[in-house]
Amino acid sequence: MDYATLKSLLAALERHGVTYAVFGAVELSLHGLVRFTEDLDIFIAPDASNVERLKSALCSVVDDAEIDQITAADLLGSYPAVQYVAPDGAFRVDILARLGTAFAFADLQIDRVPFDGLTVSVVSVPTLYRMKKDTVRLKDRADAELLKQRFNLAEE
Amino acid sequence: MPVRKFRRVEDMEAPTWRRPGDPALYRTMNAVWDLGARMSRRVHPYGVTKYSSIEQMSQAQEKTAREPR
Repeated sequence: MDYATLKSLLAALERHGVTYAVFGAVELSLHGLVRFTEDLDIFIAPDASNVERLKSALCSVVDDAEIDQITAADLLGSYPAVQYVAPDGAFRVDILARLGTAFAFADLQIDRVPFDGLTVSVVSVPTLYRMKKDTVRLKDRADAELLKQRFNLAEE
Repeated sequence: MPVRKFRRVEDMEAPTWRRPGDPALYRTMNAVWDLGARMSRRVHPYGVTKYSSIEQMSQAQEKTAREPR
């Protein structure tokens, strides 16, 4: 995913009034530690109207009927993690309605941060730290440690 | 990118944090992602794929990453 695409996606989420929060490597970059990533990770509020707004936002960036396969019934039910890859592979969006039993959208602390002329929603730094510190991926745990040092977060 | 000089090798490993909102941050994101996108070998399957958990999604993505292009 290139920078211009990321900006288009986030602008579309804002324009369409999607209730969302970015997390993962994109969020880390927005906080000042630049990480290459191929995907945009977003939590979304799991209600049907918000999922429709998300679909409208994605359709405004790429005209693709496949986007209709994203459904609130899935996200609210058996498939809380949905991946969408654009036709030319130009970008990938990982959409989460919940993260195991540890994180649901309603539990998240959400902040608004600047991004190149936009203001976008991200999970709070302490929340991002908690998400990363207990994962199996070594790079996530390393990033958690960097967040802890940078933002003087307390050990949990 | 300007030349940077370090007094100790250990300092070279330290991550560079930029200030949120600083245009330099966006320039760096642009440069890093442009380079990363050109070098990436991953080809993700087109379309919508549904997973029962983020762990299942991560496993599938890692598997895709290991497959030859």
